[in-house]
Amino acid sequence: MPNPIVDVRDLCVNIKLDEGLLTPVRGVSFQIYPGQTLGLVGESGCGKSLTSKAILAINEKKCHTTGQILFENKDGQVVDINRLDPKGREIRDIRGKQISMIFQEPMVAFSPMYTIGNQINECTRLHITRDKKESRRITLEMMKKVGIANAEKRYDQYPHEFSGGMLQRALIAMALVCKPRLLIADEPTTALDVTIQAQILELMQELQKELNMAILFITHDLGTVAKMCDNVSVMYLGRIVESGTARQIYKNPSHPYTRGLMNSVHKIGTLKQEKLFSIEGTVPLALNLKPGCGFCDRCDQRVAGVCDVAEPSARPVEEGHMAACHALKEATEA
Amino acid sequence: MAQSATVRSGAPRRRMNPMLSYILRRLVLFIPTVLIMSLLIFFIIQLPPGDYLTSYVAGLKAEGVMVDASVIARLEEQFGLDKPWYVQYLSWMWNIFTKFDFGYSFDLGKSVWPIIADKLPMTLFVSLIIMLFQYLVSIPLGIYSAVKQYSVGDYALTALGFLGMAVPNFLFAIILMYLTFIWTGTAWIGLFTKEMLQTGIHWNNLGEFLKRLLIPVLVIGTSGLCGTMRSMRAQMLDEQGRQYVLCARAKGVSERTIIWKYCLRAAINPTVSGLSGSLASIFSGSTISAIVMNLEIIGPTLYEALKAQDMYLAGTILLVMGVLIVVGTLLSDILLAWLDPRIRFSERSE
Repeated sequence: MPNPIVDVRDLCVNIKLDEGLLTPVRGVSFQIYPGQTLGLVGESGCGKSLTSKAILAINEKKCHTTGQILFENKDGQVVDINRLDPKGREIRDIRGKQISMIFQEPMVAFSPMYTIGNQINECTRLHITRDKKESRRITLEMMKKVGIANAEKRYDQYPHEFSGGMLQRALIAMALVCKPRLLIADEPTTALDVTIQAQILELMQELQKELNMAILFITHDLGTVAKMCDNVSVMYLGRIVESGTARQIYKNPSHPYTRGLMNSVHKIGTLKQEKLFSIEGTVPLALNLKPGCGFCDRCDQRVAGVCDVAEPSARPVEEGHMAACHALKEATEA
Repeated sequence: MAQSATVRSGAPRRRMNPMLSYILRRLVLFIPTVLIMSLLIFFIIQLPPGDYLTSYVAGLKAEGVMVDASVIARLEEQFGLDKPWYVQYLSWMWNIFTKFDFGYSFDLGKSVWPIIADKLPMTLFVSLIIMLFQYLVSIPLGIYSAVKQYSVGDYALTALGFLGMAVPNFLFAIILMYLTFIWTGTAWIGLFTKEMLQTGIHWNNLGEFLKRLLIPVLVIGTSGLCGTMRSMRAQMLDEQGRQYVLCARAKGVSERTIIWKYCLRAAINPTVSGLSGSLASIFSGSTISAIVMNLEIIGPTLYEALKAQDMYLAGTILLVMGVLIVVGTLLSDILLAWLDPRIRFSERSE
């Protein structure tokens, strides 16, 4: 197997508040390999966005990040992104060029003051060429590739003249124009219509094949995960509670939380009257956490005296498939 | 009309440059604005009971001089004061447009226009200097305050900003004049020395003139400066938290470019739209300071004219200031449209 493009080890993000220490990310580890897609799945507030932003070192100043983010840059050297100055040259050379990000809401990801062309081209000019004609040509080419019709005209238009789907395409063009090694897609299709969602996802897959890039795909939508991802990590309360290949996770979801997520996916053919399954309760705030499993309070299989005492460590379920649950041993043996 | 016609034709159409059409639209609006404003000014000025003659006669009576009723009636007729206000207004306007005659100052006994022409250049000059001072100082300080939020510098500027907004102009003027007197031994009162009034301003006394300009600029400019600085800071902070800033950062754009290219352009919007408002507040805010500091600008003249019910003089001064403010608004609107494409385009879709 080739070296991973990014190897995240024991990543923690802490935020000091007056009320105490907020720990939205608590020891997250994963690897992403060239040409592969890792799906990071979880409810809102589980720390997936902070994790992805930590890879680009663009979290706010108050977020204290520990752990290692080992990134293999284009020269084959491994750098720890967490050690770099977040305002320095080195990280800016990685951002946009080697790792780029597609944000959730395309409507607010562009500044309303500049044309779409200007903002995509900024990336090209920063990382590829200072030559105006050449960079414009590269930008236009990428705009066409992501399916923006009439790109020459669209180049000089402002964000408010674009539809949501077109803006998302423009955002993808902006993320891909420098042909990055790793693409972070933070719920790239939540703001879009279902029909456009499928188009955008296919587009991302095509471009992935073409550029052999790795994708970190962040979502709460398990349907999209099945379509897009090779590997899946399920996050809950700042921890990865289950990870494995997409197939393993779907065939054999081993953490109660993952099973809950699977059950709450709406299946075609269910009766109308049947209520959609939902996991009881909400994700607790990661503030001054109690000892024990984070999912304990919402889990229907909790064992008193075990689950609320110690945090479960990751246990192997099968080859390459891990889950962090106290009940696991019994469940697999039975 | 033209718009809908081009839309209906459906063929590839050449639209007018949105910026140009925006400016034209604003220019067309300029004329009715000024006319309505002149009407309002005239209406309000004649609202208080009586006119210049009645207060003049009352003054004479108080001194024991009896004025014959027929004399008063003749004077009233001569100045047209016996006619209803709208007739007076129309004849005032008529004279302005046909003869560039703004009427007669009863109090000063001469035509209104020379009085204003005498004071206007200096008023404009001082106002422009004050505005330049306000913006050149407040915008960078506001940006600094926002970029270095919660630093020592930010706290110091915040404290100074509130102080500057809270201290009344005339008090600040008196304090500064007192301090300059203590420190230099001469009182920097008025813009000109006696020598300047005789010989005019030339290279040799330019330094002295600029020195004397310092106090008025500080006094009149400070409150506006502090307000603009606070709003710049708030706006910059607001913009820095926007998603597009994060997105730009994720592209590898440097912090400096993020601030100057993205944040500033959006954050400066309210400051630019407040441009004409600050011109207005310089005009009105300078009056009392100008009286305190004995400045040769138009504010004190307006004050005297209003007190004496010298309606044409007061009306003309207000009209000129109003026109200047409308021009200021026009400029700030154009600047805004240039800054923010959404303004340019929203006009067209109406």
